[in-house]
Amino acid sequence: MINLAYKDISHSFSKFIVTAISVGVLLGIVIIMIGVYRGMVFDAKSLVDDIKADIWVVQQDTLGPFAQNSKVHEDLKEQISYQNGIKSASAITFETIQMQNCYGDFKVMIVGYDPLSNIDVINMDKLIAGRTINKQHYEIVVSKKTHYKLGESIKLGRDYFKVVGITKESVSNGGDYLMFVSLKDAQMLQFTYTNERVKSDESRGIKGGNPHLVNAIIAEIKDGYNPKRVATNIEEATHKKVFTKDEQKRLLLEKVIKKSSKQIGMFTVILIIVSIVIIALIIYTMTLEKIKEISILKLIGISNWTISKMIVEETVLLGFLAFISGNIFARLVQGAFPKRIVLELSDAFILFIIILIASIFASLFGIYKVIKTNPSEAIGG
Amino acid sequence: MDKNAIKVENLVKSFGEADSEVVVIDGANFSLSKGEFVALIAPSGSGKTTLLMMLGCALEPTSGKIVIGDRIVYDNKWKIKDDRALRRKKIGFIFQSHYLIPFLNIEENISLLPYQNGEKPKVVKQRVKEILDYLDMGDKLYNMPSELSGGQNQRIAIARALANKPDIILADEPTAALDQKRAVSVVKMLKKITREQDVTIIMVTHDERLLPYCDKVLTIKDKKILVEENSDEHII
Ligand SMILES: Nc1ncnc2c1ncn2[C@@H]1O[C@H](COP(=O)(O)OP(=O)(O)O)[C@@H](O)[C@H]1O
Ligand SMILES: [Mg+2]
Repeated sequence: MINLAYKDISHSFSKFIVTAISVGVLLGIVIIMIGVYRGMVFDAKSLVDDIKADIWVVQQDTLGPFAQNSKVHEDLKEQISYQNGIKSASAITFETIQMQNCYGDFKVMIVGYDPLSNIDVINMDKLIAGRTINKQHYEIVVSKKTHYKLGESIKLGRDYFKVVGITKESVSNGGDYLMFVSLKDAQMLQFTYTNERVKSDESRGIKGGNPHLVNAIIAEIKDGYNPKRVATNIEEATHKKVFTKDEQKRLLLEKVIKKSSKQIGMFTVILIIVSIVIIALIIYTMTLEKIKEISILKLIGISNWTISKMIVEETVLLGFLAFISGNIFARLVQGAFPKRIVLELSDAFILFIIILIASIFASLFGIYKVIKTNPSEAIGG
Repeated sequence: MDKNAIKVENLVKSFGEADSEVVVIDGANFSLSKGEFVALIAPSGSGKTTLLMMLGCALEPTSGKIVIGDRIVYDNKWKIKDDRALRRKKIGFIFQSHYLIPFLNIEENISLLPYQNGEKPKVVKQRVKEILDYLDMGDKLYNMPSELSGGQNQRIAIARALANKPDIILADEPTAALDQKRAVSVVKMLKKITREQDVTIIMVTHDERLLPYCDKVLTIKDKKILVEENSDEHII
């Protein structure tokens, strides 16, 4: 038997390919949307994952330091390190600022940490050049995407910082670039103001910020201790809020990115529905375009099965090609996005199943049209 | 020449319901034998296509009886389960336009039906070649319909109608789109087919000049079918 789908497609090959690629771009956008969502989840956890702390001590009654603002005294660090089960503790600050260089505007999160602490704050796997900070002043480690080079000087506040290390793929929970400075420098940046601001504050009787505040105390616990139990003990002893690493990550997912991920989820669902409708419409139109041939085929005695097979095969092939080109498209444009896009094979596979089912569903429209067509109308009077 | 090909008794066809009912054929009676070349001539809108479609089981009559060969296909209701199987085994169609499938080449267009009938590729290929040679189109096997002229495509359409070795060919104005010279050549070809392959052909036409080629002439008058036998000396 002659394969009608193959013959039809090769007869109007370029049109078919263009259609498949157009649908593919639509699917590619769906794939990217899913990737954006995955990327947000990944980024949200990335910083907490990188910082090798088991527990986070923050201001009482807050969900800090990311989901809510938190301020604790730096010397809380000493108190924490004496607690049962604690190996070491260290203070840390986070501050997001707007920066500008010749590559444009961007937001960076400045992480201030103690270079002498035993707790790794920079993930060594992500350090692609240079070293971590080992002086108490004027050294900085930056994300590669900020485009700063090793040895370059960056002006922050009133001072110049020398780039000593470069990291890749290290981002804040919001997907912004990271810069690491010493805790002392970070406190200075956070709490020293311009001369004008200091003057105007003083005239209001404000004595200037307290430079000995930090956003959180992070701590490592000794082997064999249960982080949750240690956290509960510290909460009772210090009247601070304490999160384990897992709790901190969950907090980030639930509080910080829940709404935006729901937003993206909604968007993705709508896009999938729109893609299905468009595929269905294309199949229906492709069938309608051939309705004359179909009724002639019916009139001369070709079975519904043979004709429907042509439509289903064309539909499935269209879905398949669209899916392939969608994935290629998504991978091609992935790098152009400023924030992380995580493309996972399992997502693509599930989408493929959805599109396959949708395509077959769409071809039912076509088949319905085939069965309904009256062969005697073929020749139109 | 007297074996039954088509027999029609009290065939009625109306469109619409109740108030808006329009009767097109009102009690047709005629019978045609195997190998007859029959013309059907009547003004536009008098029901020629309607009659042909009913004979091809592609349109349901209102009442009456249709016998194809020795098989009762309709007796106030359909007596066959699969009208399309009957068409692809016993009936060939030719239309005013060739209606070839544009995305199939000539060979594929012609072999579609035999393949659907489950015939072997070798047999089909052989037959398609024979038919095309017979119609003087042997060198066009791998052309697309869009590459041929109107007259050539009409001959391919005839080839397609022959491919399933039908008992009956229903031809709805097959020469209407052709000039006089080509029309005559198509009619001669159809006649040759009736003679050599024992096929009954009903050919709808508006052209009285083509009537002398036929054995019988059917006309539709007052919604009834009149049959006129061409006497032997008139037949060309
Ligand atoms: N599907 C239909 N519904 C309603 N009326 C129809 C339909 N098909 C044909 N007719 C009517 O039946 C009559 C005969 O039509 P047709 O058989 O096409 O005529 P012819 O082929 O002789 O020109 C016309 O009046 C036409 O309007
Ligand atoms: Mg007609």
